[in-house]
Amino acid sequence: MSDFSEELIRPKTEDDQEESCVFSGTGMSFPWLQKHIGTVATGGKKEKDFAQTTNACLSFIQEALLKHQWQQAAEFMHSYFQILEDSDSHKRQAAPEIIWKLGSEILFYHPKSNVETFNTFADRMKNIGVLNYLKISLQHALYLLHHGMLEDANRNLSHAETWRYGEKSSSQEVLINLIQAYKGLLQYYTWSKKKMELSTLDEDDYAYNTASQNMLNHSWKTSVNLCALIQTPGVWDPFVKSYVEMLEFYGDQDGAREVLTNYAYDEKFPSNPNAHIYLYNFLKREKAPREKLISVLKILYQIVPSHKLMLEFHRLLRKSEKEDHHKLGLEVLFGVLDFAGCTKNITAWKYLAKYLRQTLMGNHLAWVQEEWNSRKNWWPGFHFSSFWAKSDWKEDKALACEKALVAGILLGKGCRYFRFISKQDDEVLRKKIKRIKKSVKKHSIVNPGL
Amino acid sequence: MRRHTWPRAYSGSQRPLDPFLCCLLVPLSRFLWDHGDIAFAPLGKLMLENFKLEGARSRSKKKTVVSVKSLLQDLGGHQPWGCPWAFLSYRQRRFSIIGGPVLGKSVASLLGALLHEELAMRWEQLLLDDAFTGGALAWVPGRTPQVGQLVYPAGGALDTLCFQEVRLPPGSDPQALGDPGHIRLRGPVRQVVTRTVQGESLLAVRSDYHCALWKVSKQGRAAPLQVLQVGKGATGISLSPHLPGELAVCSRSGAVCLWTPQDGLQQVYKDPETLVFCDPSPWRWADFTAHPRVLTVGDRTGVKIIDTQGPPGCGLLLFRGGAEASCRRGERVLLTQYLGECGPEPQLPTLHLICTQFSLYLVDERLPLVPMLKWEHNLPSAPLWARLLPPPCPGCPRPLLLGGQGGHLQLLHLAGEGASAPRLAGPPQSLPSSSDSLSAFPLLEPKSQWRLQERLKAPTIGLAATIPSSASEPVLSLFQLSAAGDVFHQHLHLQADPGPHSRAPTASWTPQATACCSRWLKALLDVPPTPPVWAAPTFSHRRLLGCMEQRKVEQKGPEGLRAAMAAGRLLRQQDVGSPPSAGPPPAPEPGPEDELSARLEAAWEGRMAAWWERQQGRSSGPGRQPKRRKRRTQLSSTFSSLSGRLDLSDATSPPHSPDRASPEARPRPPVTPPSQESTQELWARGVPSERQQTLRDYMARLPLRGDAPRGVSSPLSGTSSVRATRSRPQTLQDGTAELPPRRNTRRGAAVSSSQTSSVWATPSRQQALRKKPRMGF
Repeated sequence: MSDFSEELIRPKTEDDQEESCVFSGTGMSFPWLQKHIGTVATGGKKEKDFAQTTNACLSFIQEALLKHQWQQAAEFMHSYFQILEDSDSHKRQAAPEIIWKLGSEILFYHPKSNVETFNTFADRMKNIGVLNYLKISLQHALYLLHHGMLEDANRNLSHAETWRYGEKSSSQEVLINLIQAYKGLLQYYTWSKKKMELSTLDEDDYAYNTASQNMLNHSWKTSVNLCALIQTPGVWDPFVKSYVEMLEFYGDQDGAREVLTNYAYDEKFPSNPNAHIYLYNFLKREKAPREKLISVLKILYQIVPSHKLMLEFHRLLRKSEKEDHHKLGLEVLFGVLDFAGCTKNITAWKYLAKYLRQTLMGNHLAWVQEEWNSRKNWWPGFHFSSFWAKSDWKEDKALACEKALVAGILLGKGCRYFRFISKQDDEVLRKKIKRIKKSVKKHSIVNPGL
Repeated sequence: MRRHTWPRAYSGSQRPLDPFLCCLLVPLSRFLWDHGDIAFAPLGKLMLENFKLEGARSRSKKKTVVSVKSLLQDLGGHQPWGCPWAFLSYRQRRFSIIGGPVLGKSVASLLGALLHEELAMRWEQLLLDDAFTGGALAWVPGRTPQVGQLVYPAGGALDTLCFQEVRLPPGSDPQALGDPGHIRLRGPVRQVVTRTVQGESLLAVRSDYHCALWKVSKQGRAAPLQVLQVGKGATGISLSPHLPGELAVCSRSGAVCLWTPQDGLQQVYKDPETLVFCDPSPWRWADFTAHPRVLTVGDRTGVKIIDTQGPPGCGLLLFRGGAEASCRRGERVLLTQYLGECGPEPQLPTLHLICTQFSLYLVDERLPLVPMLKWEHNLPSAPLWARLLPPPCPGCPRPLLLGGQGGHLQLLHLAGEGASAPRLAGPPQSLPSSSDSLSAFPLLEPKSQWRLQERLKAPTIGLAATIPSSASEPVLSLFQLSAAGDVFHQHLHLQADPGPHSRAPTASWTPQATACCSRWLKALLDVPPTPPVWAAPTFSHRRLLGCMEQRKVEQKGPEGLRAAMAAGRLLRQQDVGSPPSAGPPPAPEPGPEDELSARLEAAWEGRMAAWWERQQGRSSGPGRQPKRRKRRTQLSSTFSSLSGRLDLSDATSPPHSPDRASPEARPRPPVTPPSQESTQELWARGVPSERQQTLRDYMARLPLRGDAPRGVSSPLSGTSSVRATRSRPQTLQDGTAELPPRRNTRRGAAVSSSQTSSVWATPSRQQALRKKPRMGF
């Protein structure tokens, strides 16, 4: 027994802010075992009464929060403040963050809470846990934003931006960047509002000049605020988007392209499909050559083959002169329809039906077979089962017809989906079904000789 | 009285018998019962020359030879569990001296290793029991939205799969329709998964070493499709939301297989190592993604996306226990689940839920590694099941239920469809757990109250939920299966935005729920409590009887007592005869060379081993033997008189010491030994042929023979037979009592309430699953 329990308790590292956790020999921690072996964890000594009370109080607060008893949680919180005087320095240091987290949640939902209360609480907390100043400031600003108080939020962020404590650590730097970026985002918001106003004004108007001058100032400030964050690896979609929009507005196309290229292709950044989408949309606005657009979408295709831009990608590839682009065009369509979310995309089916015929007429049976080989054991069940034939026909006859054509080409006349649709007697679609039958007879890849 | 040494697992400390050691003895004694041939046969062979198998009277001159017949006679008077404090005859004493060195070493080391393995396993299980990950309760929708089936395991070993049809009438409590259907399986059910794909309802079940697939017809009948054996043990099973009948199965070996009844098994991934960093847990999990040919493979350290058609070994990490998700130290993945359902319009087709012991993460497979959402759930037990439900009304956020092993439940609301990132709508909420319903029961006497509390506290092993799409008001029906075999139900009403001043909704029981729960409670309390698994042994009856008979001759106690009672007068000293002398039993007289005190002294000074060596050498010398023998007899007679007195007084006095079980404590009915034939053969091997018949005769008389009750076999034991028959039927009652209440309560139907749980039960699952210890071969 003894060697097991020794295995269980490992000394904590000093960066562990949370309650001491129970670790097993495997390195996994078990927060719920804390209660059961509390005495073991403290080395046989019983926890101090104070620690016991504060722990109990904390769990009462959490319980009340989960039961939406805000009033009660606030009452418990009132008692919990005592932890700030704990003699255990570890706990004392960790306490302000816990109090802030729970307290702000209580104040967010508490029926009697208002913005003033929240402001007072936040200001108090910022100065109790000096180390949490930046984090609390940011969250405070977000709270104000949530309540539509942009001015106050901006002021708050400006305060936080200039705040320094001791040596600038890396974690502080990230937070300061984030605070600046949010400030930039707020400035972008005012800027875009001004832009809207400007678009309603006449260029010869007296007010136009002042307004545009205003905007220029804003842009300069914003770019300073945003660009620091954007250069650190991460997912910064809204910041990048607004930054690029401003750069574009002032004609700095190269700057915008650089930001977007960096955001999409820098290896340090996590793989982010949105980065490629922004770049593609930018290049499209710029009227970049088709080759360039295709190369951007090719990467997006590799990350998210089910994206709705893939149909656009297919159109680009279809229009291209290169043979391997035509082949990729077929691959892209098959790829889109592989995904569960795209099975009812009628455009994709329409494209596939049309492009299959086109490819087969162009004597590229091998392309089709290559795509079909990896799918022939599961597409019939996934797309062309009799269940789908019935339900598609009931819900969307046009979709059913397109699918029937594809099914007929890929699986032959005997396939259940095609048979079911071709047997349907529908006044409006009779002609279409007849055409489908003819196409299938002509193009089906099953027994192509017949 | 000296405590006998019991084979010790390790050269551990000399601690008193603590509760932990007691539960350690359980697997050990089970092992000795279940695998007696393994534990003792080789030793028997070794010690063959020390036994005299013929029952001849001729006394051997050699002190190292023990007559088996008399030895068995002595042993025959013992309770099956009688070891540590058993009465000892001088023959047994001799036997133990001969066998001591052999028994001490080989058995202890063999058992030690096995025990260590078993203990390590139990310790792991105590920390985290992941066998039921995914949950063993499922809701199979029926023909109409209001009717469905609950599928769950029942029975002591969880090896009976039950199909209970349940009706959820709008606005009132659910009703169980008829008795549940049963399917008996070969192993305990760990996970039940159900899914309706293209109008076909499928049911997959995971046991420890088997997986099975059923198809549920529209009428609710289950037809078996296929069974799969997983040699290394299955850890997870999931049904494809895209293709009917397709399954992903993962095994402890690190392999993940796709399985379809038509095409059979296809191994798509194999890696005995964990994904991100080294973790010893063999737990693996697999689920589907938005692409029917792409799976997620998870272990404790992370989750990976793999393309089953691509080259083996490649893939993309979807989640990593590390900085991207700002994981804590020691944080491990406990559950991963694909949240996209193949509905007419899949709402979150690319979202995956990942639960650790601290937080819940939502990860989009298009944007791997960086979670879309992280929320600290703070559940006080391991979150092993989650259910995402369709939105209760158009445009509403989707309810996500998170269940912990301790019965804790949390309800979250997931909003955000299509392009927007998922977010939590409103603050998460904790739902009442089964043990919270204790206050709704009437106050009972402490013992019953305790039993009820224990029953309600049984760990949860499954969670199912459904929103029957009725016209008026959306209701969320929630079922929880406990390890004791109860199904708890609660239903939640959707509240329009409560507004800032509304009070938290209160939980309440409807009259039907109260009635049902009181029926359940009655059935629960009707079943007598199960006997303890392990009881301290009692004393030899034979010796006791000897004493009793002697006393009968010389005492007029019982007659006097009876006369006094008949006359209704005060019982006087002279009626009973001489009172039993109080005080401790006479200590063995210290001889000129007192071994016991010498040994104790040596042990006290930490020179026990040296003493033992010395003793070994001395006792084998010829001169010591007679003296030793004399002391033994002295000691044994002390024992017998002591035991006699103790047992005589037990009619009026409470149990002698808390340490020792009271004589009332019934021993467990002996487990039927593994086929008597095979044990005999094992014994017989290596025994000279002329002795084999004798040996067989003795074997036949071994107390192991379960069908001959000991009490009956020894004709001179008046009281002992009384006791034996008293204990037997009681244990039988335990067995039979299981059946009738179950049926009653089942018919008593499902219950509900507007927010609290109600129960519906199988009142007696005796002793949670008595798994064969893993140390077996």
